[in-house]
Amino acid sequence: MITPQVLNEWYPVAMASQIRAGQRRETQLLGIPVTVKMSDGAVAVHGESDSFPVMERFGHVWTCLGSPAHDLFAVPEADQPGRRLVDVGVVRVKCSPLRAVENFLDIAHFPFVHTDILGAEPHTEVNRYEVQIREGSDEVWATKVTFYQPQAAKSAEGGIVTQYMYRVPAPTVSVLYKTCPVMPDAWDVIGIFVQPLTEELCDVWPWMALFDDVTPEAELIAFQQMIFLQDRSILENQIPRLLPLDPGMEIPTQADLSSIAYRRWLKKRGLTYGAQMVAA
Amino acid sequence: MTTRWIATGLSHDLPNGAVMAGQWQATELAVWRSATGKLAAWKDRCPHRGMRLSHGFVRGETLSCIYHGWVYGTDGGCKHIPAHPALTPPAAICAEGFACVEANGVLWLAPVGMAEDPPRLVDLRPVRTLSLTCDLATILGVEPALGGSDIIRGSVRIGGQDEEICLLVQPRPNGITFHALCSARADVVQVSRWLEALRRSAEEKVAA
Ligand code: FES
Ligand SMILES: [Fe+2]
Repeated sequence: MITPQVLNEWYPVAMASQIRAGQRRETQLLGIPVTVKMSDGAVAVHGESDSFPVMERFGHVWTCLGSPAHDLFAVPEADQPGRRLVDVGVVRVKCSPLRAVENFLDIAHFPFVHTDILGAEPHTEVNRYEVQIREGSDEVWATKVTFYQPQAAKSAEGGIVTQYMYRVPAPTVSVLYKTCPVMPDAWDVIGIFVQPLTEELCDVWPWMALFDDVTPEAELIAFQQMIFLQDRSILENQIPRLLPLDPGMEIPTQADLSSIAYRRWLKKRGLTYGAQMVAA
Repeated sequence: MTTRWIATGLSHDLPNGAVMAGQWQATELAVWRSATGKLAAWKDRCPHRGMRLSHGFVRGETLSCIYHGWVYGTDGGCKHIPAHPALTPPAAICAEGFACVEANGVLWLAPVGMAEDPPRLVDLRPVRTLSLTCDLATILGVEPALGGSDIIRGSVRIGGQDEEICLLVQPRPNGITFHALCSARADVVQVSRWLEALRRSAEEKVAA
């Protein structure tokens, strides 16, 4: 359902480098056709008659169909020296944009969906982690998340216990921080920027800010895309397609604390595009 | 539509240790068989986060959901949650059951609590399942010797002999699926070819 709160959020609509290289992208946002292209030397986003505000950040073009309620979230690591910023590209998924974000927050599926890469039986236990809504920034955070991983990243050699932090800084965005295999004191940063085409269809733009100056970019992208295609086989087969915000339809456990917090946060803020409000 | 048994597949297409997607009217189901051959059918939706259980995998006497690996016994009850290995899942966590029985090599589905048995198909044996992109009327038009609505029957000429054919109809959104049986003495390979020819003629008629 489109609410004023939904309209007043920023959403990704393109990869900035592609538009800057002269590509034009005809796409959709919240069911409304929009075009992203260069116009008088700047990136522009317009609909059939209106033009919309534009922001270029984290390698992507962001826009808002209403009047932006706030600035786009910050990712300070994006400006940290030594990090490699990688735009992965786009993956189209026939699912609710909110289900795509919720899946990104989920670690319990690693052994079953990303078998022998991000997880493996019998290491299936999800230890208790902490979840909070950060005041001020009003973001959902999950911290002290740990999980055993056979191959945590392209740069990882052998299994390690990976530490994670997750944040949801906008309704269709999630950013995670995970143990960097080559620099154990630093965090690798991986985000997904989800463009809601409709309530049941989205374009997902993964993005990374890594300490890894060895692995070729094509390999980093291929690794991330492989992971995401595994997720897509799940996301396109969840019933119902819309994310149920009312309890009762699905059965969460302690491992789902981040999903519970995310759903409550969406509901309280009226961010219901891609959500199912009443048990069907 | 009334509550009745609907054929969802043939026994030989669901070996021990396998799971398949089934359908009863508009309800999508997961149908599976344990390692020792026990059958079960459930709504195709994991109670945890809604993943299709027909994408799951069978281990021994249990079916696991492919998303987070929740393990269900043949009675539908959740036996194990891998994220919390020490926890005994509450009895309330359970897949929504359907009745599934096997008769004459056919798998039949119905909501739980059906009083009658599935239709009895005497002297027939299973041949194969076929999906067609046309409707039932077109098929009956192509082969006037056949007649019926849920269960299509008739005697047709195959390989110089009159053979009894029985097609169990399973409606689909964009066509129809049949589970075909034939008289016990008929040559299954010939019947299978005859069915393919029937499909070709029916689909060509729609395209024309
Ligand atoms: S959805 Fe089936 S185990 Fe999570
Ligand atoms: Fe995943």
